[in-house]
Amino acid sequence: MKKRNYSLIIGLILTGIILIITIIGQFWTPYAVTGMDSLAKNQAPSLIHLMGTDNFGRDVFSRVMNGCGTTFFVALSTVAIGCFFGVIIGSLTGFYGGLLDEIVMRINDVLLSFPSVLLVLIFISFIGTGKYKIIIALGVMFIPSFARIVRSEVIRYKSQEFVRSAQVMGAGNLRIIFVHILPNTAVSLLTAAAIGFNNAVLAEASMSYLGLGVQPPDPSLGRMLSEAQAYIFTAPWYAIWPGVVIVLIILGFSQISEGLRAISD
Amino acid sequence: MKYFIKKIITLIITLLFISLLTFTAFSVIPGDAAISKLGVDASPEAIARVRAEYELDQPVMTRYVHWLEKALHGDFGQSYKYDTMTVTQLLKSRLPVTILLAVMSFVIIVVIALPLGMLSARFAGKWLDVLINQLTQITMAIPSFFLGIILTYVFGLVFKVFQPGGYVSMEEDMKGCIEYLILPAVAVALPKIAMVVKYLRNSVLSEMKKDYVRTAYSKGNSVNQVLYGHVLRNALIPVITFVAMVVAEILAGSLVIEQVFSIPGMGRLMITSISTRDYPVVQAAVLYITSIVVIINFLVDVLYQLADPRVRTA
Amino acid sequence: MDKELLKIENLTIGFPTKSGIHTVVDHVNLEVGKGEIVGIVGESGSGKSMTSLAVMGLLSEEAQVSEGSIRLNGQELLGMSREERRKIQGRNMSMIFQEPMTSLNPVMKIGTQVGESLKLHTDLDKETIRKRVIETLASVGLRNPETLIDQYPHEISGGMRQRVMIAMAIINHPDLIIADEPTTALDVTVQAQILNLLKKIHRDTGSSILFISHDLNVIKEVCQKVVVMYKGVIVERGDAKEVLKHPKHEYTRKLVASMPDQVKKSQNTKKLLEVSNLNVYYKENKKLFSSKNQRKHIIHNMSFDLYEGEILGVVGESGCGKSTLAKTIVGLNKEFDGKMEMDHLKPQMVFQDPFSSLNPARKIGWIMEEPLKLKGIKDKKQRKEMVDQMLVEIGLDPSFANRYARELSGGQRQRISIGLSLMRGEKLIIADEPVSALDVTVQSQILRLLLKLHDEKNLTYMFISHDLNVVHHMCHRVIVMYLGRIVEMADVDELYDHPCHPYTRMLFDSILTDEEKTATDCVTVNELLQDASENEGGCPFYHRCHYAGEKCLNDVPALTDIGTPGHPHYVRCERIEYGEKYTAAD
Repeated sequence: MKKRNYSLIIGLILTGIILIITIIGQFWTPYAVTGMDSLAKNQAPSLIHLMGTDNFGRDVFSRVMNGCGTTFFVALSTVAIGCFFGVIIGSLTGFYGGLLDEIVMRINDVLLSFPSVLLVLIFISFIGTGKYKIIIALGVMFIPSFARIVRSEVIRYKSQEFVRSAQVMGAGNLRIIFVHILPNTAVSLLTAAAIGFNNAVLAEASMSYLGLGVQPPDPSLGRMLSEAQAYIFTAPWYAIWPGVVIVLIILGFSQISEGLRAISD
Repeated sequence: MKYFIKKIITLIITLLFISLLTFTAFSVIPGDAAISKLGVDASPEAIARVRAEYELDQPVMTRYVHWLEKALHGDFGQSYKYDTMTVTQLLKSRLPVTILLAVMSFVIIVVIALPLGMLSARFAGKWLDVLINQLTQITMAIPSFFLGIILTYVFGLVFKVFQPGGYVSMEEDMKGCIEYLILPAVAVALPKIAMVVKYLRNSVLSEMKKDYVRTAYSKGNSVNQVLYGHVLRNALIPVITFVAMVVAEILAGSLVIEQVFSIPGMGRLMITSISTRDYPVVQAAVLYITSIVVIINFLVDVLYQLADPRVRTA
Repeated sequence: MDKELLKIENLTIGFPTKSGIHTVVDHVNLEVGKGEIVGIVGESGSGKSMTSLAVMGLLSEEAQVSEGSIRLNGQELLGMSREERRKIQGRNMSMIFQEPMTSLNPVMKIGTQVGESLKLHTDLDKETIRKRVIETLASVGLRNPETLIDQYPHEISGGMRQRVMIAMAIINHPDLIIADEPTTALDVTVQAQILNLLKKIHRDTGSSILFISHDLNVIKEVCQKVVVMYKGVIVERGDAKEVLKHPKHEYTRKLVASMPDQVKKSQNTKKLLEVSNLNVYYKENKKLFSSKNQRKHIIHNMSFDLYEGEILGVVGESGCGKSTLAKTIVGLNKEFDGKMEMDHLKPQMVFQDPFSSLNPARKIGWIMEEPLKLKGIKDKKQRKEMVDQMLVEIGLDPSFANRYARELSGGQRQRISIGLSLMRGEKLIIADEPVSALDVTVQSQILRLLLKLHDEKNLTYMFISHDLNVVHHMCHRVIVMYLGRIVEMADVDELYDHPCHPYTRMLFDSILTDEEKTATDCVTVNELLQDASENEGGCPFYHRCHYAGEKCLNDVPALTDIGTPGHPHYVRCERIEYGEKYTAAD
């Protein structure tokens, strides 16, 4: 009866291809990322310029290749921050419960009821813009969602008899949390990480599009879109390609998370 | 009744908490407002004068109480940037557009997503469900601002039925305003439609597996009678909570999409104010938007109580 | 009686798998006559539920009926269109399900749910339906049906919910009622009431009942005829009492004789555990907005001893505090006062649910090594050897160390669970309902394993169970608990031969034992006295007791010894305290 996990396979292949191109793009691109060519402004996609050129005559494909790196870097660091602190906060509050748990979770609930873009917008207005600041802002914003997932998993498992059994054997609380319970949460954590990754890509792109995220000279898919918008009627490829790449990245990860969820069911 | 009182108290505490947080946060950020208003070359006297004018020389708590007192009367002070306008006037001119846009998106979502979700669940595993599932997967991956740009291109250049930047204000022409807002509303709504469809479908399907559904069939109910008479209400209970999240997402989406379609709403105001460090405006805007989100959550909570008898009596 | 109502012929049901069709019901033939009660008995996976779902037309879409016919009143049910079938469901036949909690719609009022089949199949007006619903609810022994119809399922108790389910099934006077394990989820005392109710309905209405159960005693109590199913095949059929008394097929014999022989009592008088004046509380988690510090008193002033080599049974209904007692003894519950003396012992525990008692993310080997690691055995090879040896002792192959718990059957998991509790080499084992989640034949294997290890390793057990038959066979001495107190405590034979406390007798009256009952109507409990709430300051059993007098309302009776020297028999009852003579005919 076991069905092939097509979602996971498609997601991994898609993400893999983009990742390879991105990694290459950090060392080599067909044209210099910031290289302008006044003779080749706003050219349509062709064999010479796969994704066309922009209003300065820069090669869109090269810029996309390189810009993906920023996107991946921001998203991965963000998820890492959110995951790390989320796991610690979630597992401790979930296991011990009590007043601290209640307070932390109330704050969590308030934060979670806000969409991440809005929260980041607010956060950015406090700490300012830039690549590392957006990482911090997004990372902090993602802590609650990871904390909540880990907490609910820990609560689900802590009343199970295998945990009681470990207690009766004489295992300490920290050993129970990190050695007995946490391995059980791996799949849901991975799923959450994939979803978080998507939210991070989306939030980073939105912020950069609004001019509040990654700042020049760092290339960014979101900022390319905002630059391209002015030329949407004359050079639509300039806007479409970075957008399509964002869509593909998100699609890849959402397929992965879909596949992971199928495993956990 | 006791429950509602408790909820309302929580609501008020949350609102106070948020207002305190926004206020203190904006008070401790580096970059003096007086300098940002007058420029770095301003004389110390001029700066001191402006500081006193904006009460920047007082302790934070005093300023907070003072500010809150005035805020409750609808007075958020003066904008640094737009000298002639109070913050309240600015917000008043911008907020209605954003709310209209959000309401339009919400209506689009509900009208399209609920029937689609039910259809998808009703024909789970069949081609219609697979088709809907694939479409939702793809639409969910499209960021709303990119969708906005595409829509501009398609309807502006290809079909020539849309004039980008041709926004008319509500006061001038309500009908024209709504017409202009349709594309932005669709851009905000589409990814969320996918989310709601998927969520409703899964909720219905997980309900369909429960024992009471078998009981309902054993009494001779038809599939539709079971689906709409027994399952729907149970399935909608978790969806209600989810919709609260979606409403918040719509608000955020509207903020971003305003930039794409050059709509003078809260979003554009916030973004310009953030870049120009016009803190009284940012402060008030943040407070307004967060309050709206918190109040919507409160209302959804109440709705949840009414929908689920188990929570009501517990 | 001779007229045939339901006739199943050659029914074969299968599920498609990678390696072809997996048959779960194999050429089953079965008849139910008008006014008959026919039982299907079998363990999980025997196909008994699948058969009943096929009759009811509720098979899932993956299930394939490849052969056979099902006729109700001569009308073929298989191959009927959905529309035709709907006209029969809820009108000619109805079904009572196992889980009364989940089988009722949580957001629909009870009245609406009970009246639904009338709404679907008759053109009665609203008012008439309402009246019929109230009448039917009253007829199944529910009080205040007028208020009940506006309540939701979560507002009433499990026993009441099952009555609601029954009312729902009988309201439209169906010819056939299918009852699928209708009492399995209920307490013994409630179970007896529900069975009596079903028999009464059968007497009053003449409906035929197809009764599905894994419990032989329940089947014998209710059914006239029985079929025994094993792996999708009917292995034996006939008169219910005859089949269960003189089983012919090997499997039926295994089912009937599933209890191990009773154990001999050890003569050891060394106290291993001394519990005195134990009070246990349940502390509710602090909430942000509640000032009250909630603390529920679960166990009241309990005192008892446990001798080396003994098997002490603890029985009582769910909620009586027997599991809390177990948790407190093994140190899982810190909210208690009183004394528990057990010199340097670290009692280990065998848990009830074999599906949640083993860590799903770890291999069996890792799980079983954990107690050794915690004990400080650093040598990896030594640990592995000890695990292998234990696996053999619990009747499994050492290769099980490399498997995950999900790859094991319920019985195998419970073996691992028992082995795990022995890894530290402790002598005192608390077993909390160790077999109640298992099939009958597996139960007997696990009980035998427990007894074997008891002999080999000179273990001492505290054996907690709601199953009085199991306790009878397993234990030397028994404690009966009610609302957190010991109400009776004596040697097993003394207790089972001369139960003194009204509650103990109520328990014994409700169980359906292997022996024939002399009385025709076995349940003596007044069904209206179901209120198990606490009687503050008086006898805890006051609300449910037939003999309760004025004194019982205000005084808590003391635990009194009425036994012979060397064989104490403690009872907590006013009547005993006042020297009222106990007589067997009472």
